[in-house]
Amino acid sequence: MAGSQHKLELKVEKFVASANLKTAMWVLIALGVLSFIIGLRSPERLWPAYLTAFFYFSCLGLGGLFFTAIQHIAKAGWSTSIRRLSESMTSFIPYILVTGLILLIGMHYLFPWANEEVVKSVPLVAAKTGYLNVGFFAVRLLLFCVGWLAFRYFIVGNSLKQDQSGDVNLTHKNVGLSVGFILFFSISFTLFSMDLLMSLLPTWYSTIFGIYTFAGLFQSSLAFLALMIIFMQRSNFVKGYITVEHLHDVVKFLKGFTVFWAYIAFSQYMLIWYANIPEETEYYLMRSQNSGWIMISMALLIFRFIVPFLALLPRGLKRNENHVILVSSLILIMQYVDIYWMVYPNFFHGHVTFGFIEVGMFAGFAGMFLYSVSSFLSKNSIVAIKDPRLHEAVNHHVTY
Amino acid sequence: MAKKRIGGYAGIWTDEHLVVEAARKVHSMGFSKFDAISPYPIHGMEEACGIKRSMIPYVTFGAGTFGLLGGLWFTWWTSAVNWPINVGGKPFFSLPAFIPIIFELTILFAALSSVGALFVLCKLPQVDPPVIDPDLTSHKFAIFIPENDMGYDETKLDQLFKSMGAIETKKVAEF
Repeated sequence: MAGSQHKLELKVEKFVASANLKTAMWVLIALGVLSFIIGLRSPERLWPAYLTAFFYFSCLGLGGLFFTAIQHIAKAGWSTSIRRLSESMTSFIPYILVTGLILLIGMHYLFPWANEEVVKSVPLVAAKTGYLNVGFFAVRLLLFCVGWLAFRYFIVGNSLKQDQSGDVNLTHKNVGLSVGFILFFSISFTLFSMDLLMSLLPTWYSTIFGIYTFAGLFQSSLAFLALMIIFMQRSNFVKGYITVEHLHDVVKFLKGFTVFWAYIAFSQYMLIWYANIPEETEYYLMRSQNSGWIMISMALLIFRFIVPFLALLPRGLKRNENHVILVSSLILIMQYVDIYWMVYPNFFHGHVTFGFIEVGMFAGFAGMFLYSVSSFLSKNSIVAIKDPRLHEAVNHHVTY
Repeated sequence: MAKKRIGGYAGIWTDEHLVVEAARKVHSMGFSKFDAISPYPIHGMEEACGIKRSMIPYVTFGAGTFGLLGGLWFTWWTSAVNWPINVGGKPFFSLPAFIPIIFELTILFAALSSVGALFVLCKLPQVDPPVIDPDLTSHKFAIFIPENDMGYDETKLDQLFKSMGAIETKKVAEF
């Protein structure tokens, strides 16, 4: 390599969560528990908020594993030094199982098809009870969580084992496992989002819905990954392994999937708008007739696509940490707005409802997510230190 | 091509690290028209040669914006102004139906202009410098300094290239 790159300083230390971070985590979790207890007194208010926050953080957890898997499949060298960060996001997956089981308690408040009266009075819903019934729903949820946990156990486990042994075969093994995960993920996540979000309005259907939620999942996961990279660069735990070059490439990914989200969102909208079939237009009518919802729909277009797209276009801004923090935070907020936009028009007679319960549930899940991520990072090395492709990541250099 | 390609002096290396060092040295000596030739992209080479960022992205952005606005104007003019046709009871100016067209035009203009700008900026299809050594497409690296560059002096360049580890130096005649 060129002369200036010879004096690279490389350092990895153990990650220790700062006192502020720990306090913030516990405050968030306490806020979540508090609002859950308060919310139990008005369950029809609590469960939509719970579902929104649950889906949001499930997406981040799964997005971490998806990113890890595509890096293994592509045999990517550049990303080996940041792969552990995306692996740390997967540590939320066990929480998906636990919080998903809690969600089963509130099913009757959420899903019309879980109500006897609705099923009896609406033949269209009754016809779908072969798939949409409480028992099968619970089995599916359990099956997906167990599958994700198993893939996480092997893929992340192999990577952690390699930290000790340095065995190259573990890298080869992860390629096959990742292919398996992506196949399983594509089916399971499609059905997961259909079960949790699409079936809130059981008479409506969209065949692209799973891809739409996936686009949001990956965009928000990359935004969180970019924030973690900046956090690690600014902290003193790691030097030389995680650089602005990695940030640049992750932000390129982020920009790409910002476009992908818009592409999928528009594809869903345009076909429904053009065909103009009542079963399908129902969904967009609910989100455009009320003045509050039309504003939120437009906000999604502007702040989830147009603003981040233009803001991430120039090269210099992709390498500007403060700028990336702003844009990533905007995308993470808009991911919440997007899930809120999918869930809430089905409740409260179509009125826009947002308050303490929504904030509290989000805070609770955020606290759990941060706790799982930071405890994973403090237990394991921040960098996959014996990965055979690590030298490629250390010398990674984005050309013009 | 009727135009003459300019001759100059070239050094040939077999080690990519040495050629990057040599490029840095030549650049720091004030040569500005020199070229480094390699069978594959070398990391750090553009910085060693002092090559600034290309202006192609700006061309792409400008042409893309033109395609976007042009597509918007054209769909509006054809469907709502010049020849309005009622399609399925939709408004004459139905933005959702026009977005695919606008999108495609944006991409078309951006992509073709980028290629066009590349040809203009690289002065293609003219190949400059002339062929120095056929092995430069497989395993050798070269630095070529044209004779119209500032401070061009063949004996000095010969010494310089040899001191930087060149295995061969040669005069490249114009043709």
